[in-house]
Amino acid sequence: MKILVPAKRVPDTDQKIEVCEDHSGIETGHLPFVVNPFDAIALEEAIRIREDRVDAEIVAVSVGDLEYEEQLRTALAMGADRAIRVDCIESLDPWNTACVLKALVEQESPDLVLMGKQAVDGDCNQTGQFLAAMLDWPQATFASRIKCLEDKLLVDRETDAGIETVELPFPAVITVDLRLNEPRYASLPGIMKAKKKEIAEISMGDLGVQNAEKMHTVSVRSAKTARKRVMVSSSCELAEKLRESLKST
Amino acid sequence: MNILVYLEHDGSEVKKASLSALSFAQALTHGPDDSVRFLLIGENLDKVASQAAKYAPTLVLEAMELAHPIAERYALVIADAVESQQADMLVAASTSQAKDIISRSAALLGGAMASDVVAHARVGEELQLDRPIYAGAVIATVVLKGSPQIITVQASAYEASPPSDSTFAVTPLSPNLDNVPQRVQIIDVETKRSSRPDVTEADVVVSGGRALRTSEDFEQLVGGLADALHGATGSSRALVDGGITPNELQVGQTGKIIAPEVYVALGISGAVQHLAGMKNSKTVIAINNDSEAPIFEEADYGLVGDVYAIVPDLIEQLNSG
Amino acid sequence: MSLSTETYDVIVIGGGVAGLSTAMQLALRGAKVVVLERERIGNGSTGRAAGLLGQLRGNSEHTRMLMDGVEIVKELEEKADVEIFVQTGSMRIAETDARAEEIASLVRMGKSIGFAIDHLPADEVKKLLPYMRTDDLIDACYCATDGHLQPAELVSAYVKVGKDHGVTYKSNSPVTEMLMAGGTAYGVKTQDAEYHAAVVVNAGGPWSYLNAEMSETTLPTAAIGHYYLTTRPDSQQPIDRLSPAIRNRELRIYSRPESGGLIVGMYAAEPEIYDMKRLPVDFDMSAMKASQASIDVALLLDAAQRRFPWITPQTPMNITTGIMTFTPDGRPFCGKMPNIEGVYHCAGFSGHGIVQSPAIGVIMSELILDGNSSYDLTSISADRYFDVPELKARQDIDTKCCEMAGNYYGKVERPSAPAVS
Repeated sequence: MKILVPAKRVPDTDQKIEVCEDHSGIETGHLPFVVNPFDAIALEEAIRIREDRVDAEIVAVSVGDLEYEEQLRTALAMGADRAIRVDCIESLDPWNTACVLKALVEQESPDLVLMGKQAVDGDCNQTGQFLAAMLDWPQATFASRIKCLEDKLLVDRETDAGIETVELPFPAVITVDLRLNEPRYASLPGIMKAKKKEIAEISMGDLGVQNAEKMHTVSVRSAKTARKRVMVSSSCELAEKLRESLKST
Repeated sequence: MNILVYLEHDGSEVKKASLSALSFAQALTHGPDDSVRFLLIGENLDKVASQAAKYAPTLVLEAMELAHPIAERYALVIADAVESQQADMLVAASTSQAKDIISRSAALLGGAMASDVVAHARVGEELQLDRPIYAGAVIATVVLKGSPQIITVQASAYEASPPSDSTFAVTPLSPNLDNVPQRVQIIDVETKRSSRPDVTEADVVVSGGRALRTSEDFEQLVGGLADALHGATGSSRALVDGGITPNELQVGQTGKIIAPEVYVALGISGAVQHLAGMKNSKTVIAINNDSEAPIFEEADYGLVGDVYAIVPDLIEQLNSG
Repeated sequence: MSLSTETYDVIVIGGGVAGLSTAMQLALRGAKVVVLERERIGNGSTGRAAGLLGQLRGNSEHTRMLMDGVEIVKELEEKADVEIFVQTGSMRIAETDARAEEIASLVRMGKSIGFAIDHLPADEVKKLLPYMRTDDLIDACYCATDGHLQPAELVSAYVKVGKDHGVTYKSNSPVTEMLMAGGTAYGVKTQDAEYHAAVVVNAGGPWSYLNAEMSETTLPTAAIGHYYLTTRPDSQQPIDRLSPAIRNRELRIYSRPESGGLIVGMYAAEPEIYDMKRLPVDFDMSAMKASQASIDVALLLDAAQRRFPWITPQTPMNITTGIMTFTPDGRPFCGKMPNIEGVYHCAGFSGHGIVQSPAIGVIMSELILDGNSSYDLTSISADRYFDVPELKARQDIDTKCCEMAGNYYGKVERPSAPAVS
């Protein structure tokens, strides 16, 4: 069985994010870049599936410039068997990312695509669903538990109403949620092995994909808001403020 | 402008969030040629349809195969409806169901989609949409290229559309189910057993953070205060990570993004991921033992102290007053 | 626009334990003090520290400082009503002859000054630390009076007592300029205000060398990366809250219990050096994260697993990473430099800031208010490398300090002479 895991390079959003002066994007000079945390969860799950069934092969893929090799190298160190980078200097929207992934799926014929439910930079939560639709594959989004059986998958999905358990056949697209697992840190042998592995490079042209923007970013701005910031000194005073706030609703 | 609004429901009630999606759509339509209609999908929909008709004309797609909102089925019939109705736009509230289904529909409709929209503006011919990115630290203004446009809006950003005095038409559509796949089956649904309102729909939300040490403490302090305020409970990521609270309570970048009238943060330090989920709340109240905790920067009223000491006192005062 | 001016007796730059302890001790003696913190109080190295307290040091004056520190902490615990010192006891373990000799000389030295430390037989080690691999050990020593200080509680106690005695704390207030006239500092500038005082204390932790540069002084400290892991509580692998801290120098690791789990940290052989100039002024150290493929984490995991075989890359854990401040000899810089009057340095604690801070506050207040100290400060004087030309250029300083950090656990210690009490 083959599992394809897309791994996006994103700035670490736990850091303070500042908008550029020309409002074209954010300042990235000082920001560390990481594997999109949800993609790391997907990769961890793929590794755990392989730990259960030895025949599994994990292919990590990324769409971006040379710098994306850092994240693919991380994926290899964590345990991916191979890595493919689709060379692209532009930042793609979910539609175009899904187009690239679709072409990769057609080339690699995986049984399962496991990916993050969203990337923490664009926060779109679309690419997995787009890809499933383009491939006409069944999907299970927001997975918090995955059971990989011989001929089907059992997935717990986190929905607003609660946990929904679904059954779906291969091949499928699964997007993962926070509580699925905790990604491991790479081991020393893992890092050493990853250094020797090749990262295959493919161009968008080779895949027959052309970037055709569907969502265009006009500008960005900081989302800071002003608060009253009044400090009270007793629970009595706080109860009063609570009552006032409730009254005005 | 011809807009379809995906109407979410639980089999008997219209979901309030969809009324916010409706009001977004209504704000875009003014002319006599414009139309905004609900798209209602499921099985045995008479009750929901009559409720929906108080708000907008409603198209109904009913079938046994559509009894449950399974993405691969719904996405297909929604895309069919958008095409057959020649809609320019498909709108939905940004819920977990819409993220699952509407995103899949969007790909079948060309992929011009913006999710989690919080504001909009007409600039010339363009419809500019604001949506939060980078965990809510930044707002991006985007435009969609292509038609139809698919948009999900954050319910907290738009007032729910009020009911009308008259009743609108309910029009049944016959879904084409020939190509609808049946690969995905729902085996089990474990619904929440909470008697409290849903964290995404409540006017008051009381959330607990790292200061809460056990599930029992959380229930007693956070739950207790929520009940005193007739509100919902929420949780920081730390407690979900620690297994103290269930995932669906998580407020933050990777959890629920909410904007209640009053948000009370108990023992929450205020990491950016958490702020991302609640910073649009109208009034924010924080209790934390660390006077330097960043939550106080994001609070209207703050009290420095131990939640274990303060909250029982607060509950008593609220219950007695 | 002219800036508002506030006047104090002492300005402390840096709201970590060194600055907070100094400010508190000065205020206890009646000084009017302001602490200017670049970001948030206690959120730099302090907020990332493990806080291990091993009182027996190769230098008897250091041991005295640490033992006195425990007494100060006990007073603080009463005043602030928090538990700071957790007396777990501590253990050193040896798996080689050289490490065994290291332990033997430590025990000899401890006994010579009447310090309660002794060798511990293997079965006792096993009993105290059932979760540790012991079959490869040839010796161990144990001290029951050691433990750790809880950094967050220590910070809150310093701030509480400080506030009670009139200390002003300003967070998000990075100092942008040192105000000087004729070789004497008379204050500092921030973006919003000027602060005037006859004394400026540089307690900037990893930023301290940049603060020193503002007063035209080279402070030979370097900012060094550090990592530790904290395992999640696991009923299969209970860690007693009071089980002893462990120092396993051969593997370069230390450990201590932490809320049901275990902290394991490593003094890496080749630690990362940070250029503090490149970090944003409001850099939030608590947001630092290790990469999933960090070589430092992999080395830490590898060493941790050798000593605690149940720790694997799959073990649920948090990785904490931060920046500590090393000096060329691993000892702090406390006091004035010959070139500038009015600036007192208090930095470079080389992994011991938490536990040294209680006594350091006393020492700094003595130096500032009395001009001398009740402690012998020879080994920690700020000017001990002032005339060393090899420690002027940033790169040379970084190399030397990094070497020190790398050797810190790695090199076998050979205490030369028994310490005299």
